[in-house]
Amino acid sequence: MAQSVFCLVCGGTACESSDSDTIYKNIKTQLAGRGFEESVQVVKTGCFGFCEQGPIVKVLPDESFYVQVTPEDTEEIVDEHLVKGREVQRLAYKEPGAETISRGHQISFYQKQVRVVLRNCGFIDPESIDEYIGRGGYEALGRVLSDMSADEVLAELETAGLRGRGGAGFPTHKKWRFTKAATDTQKYVVCNADEGDPGAYMDRSILEGDPHSVLEAMAIAGYTVGADQGYIYIRAEYPLAIERLQMAIRDAEAIGLLGDNIFDSGFSFRVELRYGAGAFVCGEETALLKSIEGDRGTPVQRPPYPAVKGLWGKPTVINNVETLAGIPVIITKGGEWYARLGSETSPGTKVFALTGKINNSGLIEVPMGMTLRDIVFNIGGGIPDGKAFKAVQTGGPSGGMITEEYLDTPIDFETLQGLGSMMGSGGMIVMDEDDSMIDVAKFYLSFNVDESCGKCVPCRIGGRQIQKLLERFSKGQGRPEDIERIETIGNWMKQGSLCGLGTTAPNPALSSITHFRHEYEASMSTGAAEEGAGGEQAAKNEAPAG
Amino acid sequence: MITMQIDGHKITAREDQTVLDAALENGIDIPRLCHHPDLTPSGGCRLCNVEVVGSNKMQPSCTMEVSDGLEVITESEGLYDHRHSIIDLLVSDHPLDCVTCEKSGTCELQRYAYKYGISETSLDFELGREEKVDDNPMFLRDHPYCILCGRCVRVCNEVVGADAIQFGDRGFDSYVATQFDVPMGDSSCVFCGSCVQVCPTAALTHKSRIGKGREWEFDRVETICGYCGVGCRIEFAVNTEGAEPDIAYAQGTPNAPTGRFLCSKGRYGWDYAKNKERLTTPLVRKDLAYELGLTDTPWQMPETSPLSAKNTAEYFVPVDWDTAMGIITDKLTQAVREAGPGAVAGLSSARCTNEDNYLFQKLMRATIGTNNVDHCARLCHASTVAGLAAAFGSGAMTNSIGEVRDADCIFITGSNTSEAHPVIGYEVNRAVQSGATLIVCDPRHIPLAEKATIHLQSAPGTDIHVFLAMLHVMIRDELADMEFVRERTEDFESLEKSVTAMDPETAAEVSGVPAADIERAARLYALGLRQDGDSRYGGGVEGRGDSERGRSSILYAMGITQRSNGTELVKTLANLAMLGGHMGKASTGVNPLRGQANVQGACDLGALPNVYPGYQKVTDAASRAKFAEAWGSEALDEQAGLTIVEMMRAAEAGDVKAMFFMGENPMISDPNIGHVEKALRSLDFLAAVDIFLSETCQLAQVVLPATSFLEKEGTFTNTERRVQALTPVLQGPGDARPDWRIVAELGRRLAAALGTPQEQWDYSSPEQIMKEISSVAPIYGGMDYGRLGTKGLVWPCPDAEHPGTPILHVGEFRRGKGKFHAVPPRLSSEQPDEEYPYVLTTGRMLYHFHTGTMTRKSKGLSWKQKRGYVEVNEQDAEALGIADGKAVVIESRRGQIRARARVGATVPSGVVFVPFHFKEAAANLLTQDENLDPDAKIPELKACAVKVTNPAQKKQTVKEQ
Amino acid sequence: MPTAIPRTSTLPEDLFEFVMEWKEKPGNLIMILHRIQQYYGYIPQPVGEEVARITGIPGSRIYGVATFYNYFNLYPPGKHRISVCMGTACYLKGGETLVNHISEKLNVAVNAVTEDKQFSLQEVRCVGCCGLAPVVVVDDNVHGKVTPDKMDEIIEDYRNRGEDDG
Ligand SMILES: Nc1nc2c(c(=O)[nH]1)N[C@H]1C(S)=C(S)[C@@H](COP(=O)(O)OP(=O)(O)OC[C@H]3O[C@@H](n4cnc5c(=O)[nH]c(N)nc54)[C@H](O)[C@@H]3O)O[C@H]1N2
Ligand SMILES: Nc1nc2c(c(=O)[nH]1)N[C@H]1C(S)=C(S)[C@@H](COP(=O)(O)OP(=O)(O)OC[C@H]3O[C@@H](n4cnc5c(=O)[nH]c(N)nc54)[C@H](O)[C@@H]3O)O[C@H]1N2
Ligand SMILES: Cc1cc2nc3c(=O)[nH]c(=O)nc-3n(C[C@H](O)[C@H](O)[C@H](O)COP(=O)(O)O)c2cc1C
Ligand code: SF4
Ligand code: SF4
Ligand code: SF4
Ligand code: SF4
Ligand code: SF4
Ligand code: FES
Ligand code: FES
Ligand SMILES: [Mo]
Repeated sequence: MAQSVFCLVCGGTACESSDSDTIYKNIKTQLAGRGFEESVQVVKTGCFGFCEQGPIVKVLPDESFYVQVTPEDTEEIVDEHLVKGREVQRLAYKEPGAETISRGHQISFYQKQVRVVLRNCGFIDPESIDEYIGRGGYEALGRVLSDMSADEVLAELETAGLRGRGGAGFPTHKKWRFTKAATDTQKYVVCNADEGDPGAYMDRSILEGDPHSVLEAMAIAGYTVGADQGYIYIRAEYPLAIERLQMAIRDAEAIGLLGDNIFDSGFSFRVELRYGAGAFVCGEETALLKSIEGDRGTPVQRPPYPAVKGLWGKPTVINNVETLAGIPVIITKGGEWYARLGSETSPGTKVFALTGKINNSGLIEVPMGMTLRDIVFNIGGGIPDGKAFKAVQTGGPSGGMITEEYLDTPIDFETLQGLGSMMGSGGMIVMDEDDSMIDVAKFYLSFNVDESCGKCVPCRIGGRQIQKLLERFSKGQGRPEDIERIETIGNWMKQGSLCGLGTTAPNPALSSITHFRHEYEASMSTGAAEEGAGGEQAAKNEAPAG
Repeated sequence: MITMQIDGHKITAREDQTVLDAALENGIDIPRLCHHPDLTPSGGCRLCNVEVVGSNKMQPSCTMEVSDGLEVITESEGLYDHRHSIIDLLVSDHPLDCVTCEKSGTCELQRYAYKYGISETSLDFELGREEKVDDNPMFLRDHPYCILCGRCVRVCNEVVGADAIQFGDRGFDSYVATQFDVPMGDSSCVFCGSCVQVCPTAALTHKSRIGKGREWEFDRVETICGYCGVGCRIEFAVNTEGAEPDIAYAQGTPNAPTGRFLCSKGRYGWDYAKNKERLTTPLVRKDLAYELGLTDTPWQMPETSPLSAKNTAEYFVPVDWDTAMGIITDKLTQAVREAGPGAVAGLSSARCTNEDNYLFQKLMRATIGTNNVDHCARLCHASTVAGLAAAFGSGAMTNSIGEVRDADCIFITGSNTSEAHPVIGYEVNRAVQSGATLIVCDPRHIPLAEKATIHLQSAPGTDIHVFLAMLHVMIRDELADMEFVRERTEDFESLEKSVTAMDPETAAEVSGVPAADIERAARLYALGLRQDGDSRYGGGVEGRGDSERGRSSILYAMGITQRSNGTELVKTLANLAMLGGHMGKASTGVNPLRGQANVQGACDLGALPNVYPGYQKVTDAASRAKFAEAWGSEALDEQAGLTIVEMMRAAEAGDVKAMFFMGENPMISDPNIGHVEKALRSLDFLAAVDIFLSETCQLAQVVLPATSFLEKEGTFTNTERRVQALTPVLQGPGDARPDWRIVAELGRRLAAALGTPQEQWDYSSPEQIMKEISSVAPIYGGMDYGRLGTKGLVWPCPDAEHPGTPILHVGEFRRGKGKFHAVPPRLSSEQPDEEYPYVLTTGRMLYHFHTGTMTRKSKGLSWKQKRGYVEVNEQDAEALGIADGKAVVIESRRGQIRARARVGATVPSGVVFVPFHFKEAAANLLTQDENLDPDAKIPELKACAVKVTNPAQKKQTVKEQ
Repeated sequence: MPTAIPRTSTLPEDLFEFVMEWKEKPGNLIMILHRIQQYYGYIPQPVGEEVARITGIPGSRIYGVATFYNYFNLYPPGKHRISVCMGTACYLKGGETLVNHISEKLNVAVNAVTEDKQFSLQEVRCVGCCGLAPVVVVDDNVHGKVTPDKMDEIIEDYRNRGEDDG
């Protein structure tokens, strides 16, 4: 009997932490108990993105969107909806302030999103290679291996204008070309899944929700540059992603999509996992390679770039998870299709982790060039509790604050940099009127100081010096000359540091001074940083209803 | 070569240079702190940043590769500000108390603080590291002064290969740590002090210098290390303010041919010099003194062995030089008169200079009239001299130390390089780090085995099977360089025939080395294959079609030579090198690592019973005539003299009646010392020159005090045949005299007594002696003190214009064609049996030198290793119930010793190892002095049969009964 | 790198097997350390030294690596590990308050263990559940939208578990 009804249970980490696994199991057993196991297919998927409202259960084709589901609710969903076909009003999502229920695609959180990279997340069972293949998976690899030369793949990526999503936005085809051009017999492909930006989890969701897309892309990269070995460097803090990747590798190997002589093409490619161990700097590519080599993750001065001299001294392509996940679609749908999405200089989409003081916290994918206002107020549903928007931090600890007046800038790699911030990996933290910018700057600087590897002088000592100055301001003990000092030391770091961590580490402090100098000045007169920064109050407000 | 611009100057540079190197080479100084010319660039301090024209970013010049057309600016306002900021930041995390700081004056941080006018930080002062660690007698680790430049970590890993230190923690809290912060002495630190040498600040400081003065107050004297044959050049910082010069610390020098780093002995082993037990005056033993009326009390030499005797200084009475010299002259004259010159024998010394040795053998040959002169080379590389002379025509290292670094494949066998020739070990480590393959064939898991591509762990005495199988594979698999074989060698056919039966499987059965490893080793060695990286010579890459054969170099030492078939083994290694075509080119060759600081020179200058200086045979009439003329002798002894072991036998038999030793301590170093003691006691007369009252001196009637290498002039010839000049750093103690002066004085007196020309002994300086040497020994023909400088000269150097010969046998072997020798697979002479089931092998450890007269008196070295020990395999230990650190008894047919067990996996099961440095557990009580190598007469110090027992267990069984 | 083949080892058998399996693989160290920590909850010094011995990886490097990465502990953690997320989202929503609260309630400093060894407290970077901020992970369980009161409940819950099976 054809299964026409699908019940999708979110199996992302956030939802899983609120018992989505029990929910999934309950639904399955309860359906079986009622003899409906044949007619409804229950799928545990990757993250839907709307983590704020998790655990989420979605029923197709009805597009019913149940939020904050508990294991006690499943009986009702099964009996009412899956058996009798009646939507459970009580659990269905309503837009804030709205009276009526919103169905999946109507939800404003999703409406403006374009899901390219997240195409499969929340739709398929990430633990099933068949479902991936069912949605066109490994078609790109097949096509590349049977019909395309390496140069054709590169040309497609060039047409697509794909730029690295790891932060720097370096054109992917160029990177691949460098490695392809190297004469060494051994080359590597490395997937950067270190995702160190605190407050960002795009890569995690992709790996948990659609692991094969990354494997497929790595194989395509291997074929293109002439590498037969891939490594995924993944944070040890992502056990679920690790588990799903391991399963995906095993499954792909089992049916010959990875391993020796794939599709009889003579091309062989293997993928192994290597775990990170809690070091933000290991997201930096040269540090990452050191870490894979089993060493301290200290960056190395570039050039030479990894593309030419990377892992164990061999040419190595390093790409971010999100960069890779987009590649199979670029191959199947064509570079031109992809280039039409997004902005002039930055084609395609970008996934952001929208968090902080925002109603709809979650993971979103939008075309490049969308304005921040659209993201914060339309998709994100604005600021909770009627508070006023103060700033949004993009680029995580390397980025800067963007204020109200710039909310209408269409965002891409270049515009964000123009605003003194950066794209980074895609963290987007919204702050409201209660947040002290000195505190936020101090938070980021402390993070950067903690995460500095310590190799180079400006970052090791300069960062610590700024941190201390910020601590002084937050206690209201800043001195007038200290503002300038922060700026001076910040410039030393920007100019002098060895790697991107140090050159960007002062950004949060510098941008807070640019936009909120008055807070610094005020702190000196009031004797303390503005009160009510995050903290207790917010925690109380956020206490979940159920 | 590429062309680029630095500060507007056009310069040319090599493609592989960094901008900083190119600038420095062209006299443009760029500030720098983390950079060190011997280490890989770090790029961490950011001081060397320069501006690239056309880019708005600064970049460190120490990591930037030069490129054609590149233009950089090294000084600008922006760079000044940047560098100022770096120093400002650094001193915010630094005590900056230069006034009392030991490093003041050479401190690089201080230099830049001065340059940028920074006397205190403009920032908040905060130390990231607070601890001062004082956990060893050699150096202090004063963390607050550390600027985390990482030089120490890199030198320890990249050069020394000890991997003792690493950064711990990260960021602002980073510090230089040992494993789990254990004290230095419990880490893998080898106390080479290289980290201290490269440290730009006072974070690492030699303790010996503390309180001895400020940097600018020290004199600096460069001389050559007197321990091993590497011959490192050492710069001593000396305080000359006091009554006597006092060494503050030792340092390698950048212009040294062997590199700028030292090992623990060169670095810290100099404090023996001021030890209060130094001999300061001639001594006469009380029995002889009484006999001669020098004392009134009769006295009898006790029976107690010198190995256990106490207060032996009381055996002697001090006398003046004239008296002592008079006695020796009389006694030796008497022996010659009564029993002929052949009744006298002398041991010269590889610890002594070329000039000392030349005079010593001249004394024996020209004045006394015998060829009975030998020295410790007999126990050492005698088989090399014989074997390589037969194969190539010359018995020394074919290539030089500096070439090791660039080899593609290094084959080490029977050499514990990192302990016995540590600085060559550094070169091996560097080669391996840059991608060379390393094959180690040694029964023990020596430190370099850890870095090896393959460790062929052959059972003692079975390596010959492995080598023969390698030859077999090279021929079978057509890996040989047949062009070389055809053009440069002879007797290939006899070799080919001799190895057909030795296939890898057969060899595997005997040696325990897997056949596959033997095959792989043969392939790597023959083709000179690298594991990684690019060869300096462009070859050695597997699978690269156009690639030529890489460069393979053999290094070997006592594991090969101290064997009853040592000469055959040496010939086999020569076979390997010739078959692979690895001869006569840079970074190839057969390289015997000579042991003592001047063992090469002692051999070169004829301290051997069969050759005159320059390896001219005593049995050759023309040579004899030549030397007779030069030395004003009527006739010289026509027969080769006695070798060491033969001398001892002859002494015991009463054929040799008087002996004269200079700088030898056979009571510890000769095989079967029980036997040696008997021989020496049975002599009519024994005189010894030494710097301490050694165990051998204790059996002598007259003992003369010599100055040591730190106190004298002369030359040493190191293992790569490089003649280098010594410069006195200290004054000799008391009345001690340089050996050459002692020998010359004795020569004068003996010549007078025996009626040979006295004017032959008018020497006023070592330089004058070298002039004579160069006139009689063609390989030293061009040696002249004026030419030696800081780099010395490598023989053969036939004339004053000749630049020296770092690589031998280029184009042609010294004997014409290289000769292959068919060699049978012989096992060691004393095989284990039921009664003595274990194989004992003996040798060295890093911190001690031979008989320990000097190193065991060094504070630091003896702290690191106080007592003797026995290495026992963990499985054997378990079977015997022996625990790590507990006593074991080792017994052979000749004697027994007791020492602490060092249980582990260094020796394989069935083998024990005892270092021979410790008289309390003297290895040579056990070793055998029979079954000498028939050609070289070297004893088999590397294998004998022993039993191993657990004394605790014995006691226990007694108790139980 | 040929290492003297150790025939005896102080490691438990399965750990020894894991190490020997990874020994020959390039870049094995971090994976080995993860396994050790999984086994003991931290990296005990004797185990680190034993790994150095049997793999030939210098002990200094093992230590350098173990101290570089935040994930590795060199001291035994408490029976239950409380990790408070101090990623940005959680920080903004009160992560620091939670740390202070727990620290006071259990009388334990960050990166330390309570006297009764029941709990250890640490701060972690984003665990990837920012939508649930502020997040606390106890052992392997994620707790979202935690308030100080809720934290008290969570602690009690684990304390009772602790008594049950302790
Ligand atoms: N620290 C220190 N350095 C020294 C010296 C010292 O006393 N102390 N002495 C100097 C002198 S004079 C010399 S000659 C050199 C000697 O230097 P080495 O020859 O390097 O030193 P050894 O320890 O005698 O022996 C070398 C190796 O031979 C191995 N061996 C034992 N049996 C066999 C065998 O059957 N086959 C093979 N292939 N190998 C075997 C041993 O395991 C050992 O690792 O060192 C010099 N340097
Ligand atoms: N079991 C075993 N025995 C061995 C070896 C082995 O591997 N195993 N190795 C053998 C080898 S290779 C060697 S080279 C020998 C070394 O054996 P020796 O040469 O006997 O050993 P050293 O300790 O170097 O002793 C030389 C003596 O010279 C003295 N001396 C030092 N400097 C001077 C100086 O400037 N002038 C004078 N006059 N005297 C000085 C020292 O105090 C010491 O007493 O040992 C051999 N014995
Ligand atoms: C401090 C620092 C942290 C970084 N962290 C990450 C990260 O977590 N994930 C990532 O993909 N790239 C990160 N990057 C960027 C990488 O160095 C690298 O540019 C990227 O992985 C390249 O992939 P892409 O071209 O696909 O973007 C980081 C860079 C720096 C300087
Ligand atoms: S900038 Fe910071 S993280 Fe990067 S190398 Fe320098 S100290 Fe390390
Ligand atoms: S280490 Fe250098 S800068 Fe520091 S106190 Fe000593 S001399 Fe001065
Ligand atoms: S003394 Fe030598 S071995 Fe020890 S830490 Fe320093 S460089 Fe390393
Ligand atoms: S101890 Fe000296 S050499 Fe080592 S990092 Fe510190 S300053 Fe540099
Ligand atoms: S290697 Fe030899 S010559 Fe060099 S310092 Fe050490 S003992 Fe002296
Ligand atoms: S010398 Fe170049 S960065 Fe330190
Ligand atoms: S910031 Fe806490 S889970 Fe991401
Ligand atoms: Mo020797």
